[in-house]
Amino acid sequence: MMATETLRVVCYLNQFFGQLGGEEKAGVGPQVVAGAVGAGRAVQQVLGDAGTVVATVICGDNYAAEQAERAVAEMVALVAPARPDLMVAGPAFLAGRYGVVCGALCAAVQTELKIPAVTGMQAENPGVELYRRRVYIVQTGAEAARMLDEVKRLVALGLKLARREAIGTPAAEGYFARGVTHNVVANASAADRAVAMLLDKLAGRAFASEVPRPAFPPVPAPRLIKTLEGATIALVTDGGLVPRGNPDGIEALNATRYGAYSIEGKTSLDAAQYDNPHRGYDTTWVKQDPHRLVPVDVARELEQSGAIGKLHETVYSTVGVATTLAQSARMGREIAEKLRAAGVDAVILTST
Amino acid sequence: MTPVAVMVGANRIVSAAGIIHPLGNSDLSPDDEKALRRRIVEQALQALRTEVVRPTVFTRE
Amino acid sequence: MRLELRWSDVDELVAGSATRLAGKRLEIDLDALRALLSADARLTGIRLDLVHPGERCRIGRVFDVVAPRARLDGGEDFPGVLGAVAKAGHGRTLALAGVSVVATDQQTDNVGTLAVIDMAGPNAALSAFGRTHNLVISAWPAPGTGRSDYLAAVRLAALKTAVCLARTAREAEPDRVEVFELPPSPRVPAELAHLPRVAYVFQIHSHQRPTGLDEGILYGDPVRRMLPTIVHPNEVLDGAVLRGFMGRSVTTWATQNHPMIRALYEQHGRTLWFAGVVVTVAQATEPERVRSAFLAAGLVAHTLGADGAVFTKIGGGAPHVDMAQAAAQCEALGVKTTAVVEDMSTDGSAEGMLLFDFPGVDALVNVGSSQEPLTLPAMDRVVGADDLASKLLGEARATYGTLCGAIEQVGTTRVMAEVR
Repeated sequence: MMATETLRVVCYLNQFFGQLGGEEKAGVGPQVVAGAVGAGRAVQQVLGDAGTVVATVICGDNYAAEQAERAVAEMVALVAPARPDLMVAGPAFLAGRYGVVCGALCAAVQTELKIPAVTGMQAENPGVELYRRRVYIVQTGAEAARMLDEVKRLVALGLKLARREAIGTPAAEGYFARGVTHNVVANASAADRAVAMLLDKLAGRAFASEVPRPAFPPVPAPRLIKTLEGATIALVTDGGLVPRGNPDGIEALNATRYGAYSIEGKTSLDAAQYDNPHRGYDTTWVKQDPHRLVPVDVARELEQSGAIGKLHETVYSTVGVATTLAQSARMGREIAEKLRAAGVDAVILTST
Repeated sequence: MTPVAVMVGANRIVSAAGIIHPLGNSDLSPDDEKALRRRIVEQALQALRTEVVRPTVFTRE
Repeated sequence: MRLELRWSDVDELVAGSATRLAGKRLEIDLDALRALLSADARLTGIRLDLVHPGERCRIGRVFDVVAPRARLDGGEDFPGVLGAVAKAGHGRTLALAGVSVVATDQQTDNVGTLAVIDMAGPNAALSAFGRTHNLVISAWPAPGTGRSDYLAAVRLAALKTAVCLARTAREAEPDRVEVFELPPSPRVPAELAHLPRVAYVFQIHSHQRPTGLDEGILYGDPVRRMLPTIVHPNEVLDGAVLRGFMGRSVTTWATQNHPMIRALYEQHGRTLWFAGVVVTVAQATEPERVRSAFLAAGLVAHTLGADGAVFTKIGGGAPHVDMAQAAAQCEALGVKTTAVVEDMSTDGSAEGMLLFDFPGVDALVNVGSSQEPLTLPAMDRVVGADDLASKLLGEARATYGTLCGAIEQVGTTRVMAEVR
């Protein structure tokens, strides 16, 4: 592949960045348009003469997330006829559904079409952890405000991949470490590096460990000791159910708060008394009927029939979009402690 | 988003009915929707009773 | 305790009519040496080869490498194994640089556990032994000699040779003198009391494979179920700790030239106070591992009063975890730790690098992956492995672990597994 040839590039965008619409269009299926549209124009701008965006594949985030394998297969079938030298997906920033499908599509295009692919997203996007080993994912900010800047590194890495040039270290090229190890010769012996690292650690200076810690340590699975008939079950959700007015001020994005809402004496949730600030999906249907998120009606019936011992009188709720790992872990811990103190035996957590 | 749940280490994962209505479906009649909800919740209860040692996805047939 | 290493540099190794050091040329009376080594009834058919850096030669069936050292002021060489049991680490010891003694294993059929040394080509630079003049000892077991006896005899032959070579420098003016002096741990001069106290926790053997009775490792003791104890760093530098008989291991040479001890001495009195060395073994069972971990941590924190500790291991996965447990116990006592691990991944994935995740054990240095493939280029000559010569002459795929001295778990080497 000569550096002077103009590369054929296909972009992948979701319904929003592909300018079909917002959440209300999240269910649209895969489609392809000629040339660059929406955010893809930034890609074309950065490519300049080095490449042409010959086509853009667009798909709704919900369709892609819910159909997963089928959606990816349909999209691969749309990419193939364009005969691209490179696929650029996203960037997805912090949008979780978008990031996951960007990763999945890049992985599929690489494996099935043998076409180099690159995508970009922010560090906390679940797509990073799922796909960084298989796909080059450039680190971006959380939002599209700096679209042109974000796209620059994406395109630069994409061009190297397409031209089969040597790819530098994660730090140099701006991609998330892929988790592949390779022996190199360091500039000092391991013993010297160890003493230097310890001195840094003792002095409170930053140090770069040479081995990454496991990102998600395994969680031991508790056993339900009681029978279901004797157990107290609590309902928890990260789908954003809040009482009308959102009295606890749970944030619509990057939540740091959760609420505890009483369902004592309730056999159902009255839609008029609830709201939902969650920005990660279209909340129309769960606002219409909150049971579609927190199944108080069914759970109460199961309690009354004796299938479960007791339905816990408090529902815990937060908004799970772009929540940081640290905050998620903290909120989870606090909720668990409260539930444990109240004698709850098990939790059904509804997640969107 | 079950792959995310698996990745972070949730041990018992039940596949629900879609992002915008995990425990429902507006295309169904209210009765059918509630029946669907009940099926999913019962599956969750079954999963709670099942001993697992690692993230396990329980799918509906 | 004060140890002087008196270094003589060797840049030529030849056979001669007498064993002596003439300037930088080491001449060896191979017949006399062969006769000396043949006195051991456990060995037969002793063969000695001289191999030089730059030669397109591959040494096969490598079991261990020993650095030439000999006590100058009397005292015992390699006490407990070659010499009588006596304290090492004080007085004056002769050392030769540029020449190594390579012991080969002619008995085992399990050649996968043995290493090679390339004297030329891209692999030569990865190991110290690709750049030293090597005296290769090949000895066969006398009939009826069992495995443990054979390896004990081979090791002894290498130690005798190492002493014999170093003694040639008796009369010479050394090219360099290194002084290693460390007072008892509590005796810190007031003006240096502000320095962080750093201990080294040195895992000297792994009980993945139990030691034989004659498999002396610490002053000749087979360290079976050894509980953590404290030694002076000079003792390690002066022949008190040797390689055991397990498959792949840290070479005796690397222990004699212990890089961690040397690095800590280098910084001693400047950026840190070298608080001392705790030696441990990697235990075989969980209760023993737990006991060893907190005993070692206690020595580090409460006896040596260390602020920080560096750790190395020897062997495979269980020692890796054993070391981490000891480090975790130190962290729990407020001692900051750094551990040197080997990349344990078998498939080059970063997730597989570590077999543990303990709180506070977050400062890790790695010595590379032994499993990573590399190519052994074709050579013109094979030494130490006649039966494998046809295979070892040609180009072959091997791993980094196959190259003796490319990956030393005590931290000598610069090979590192980089995460991309």
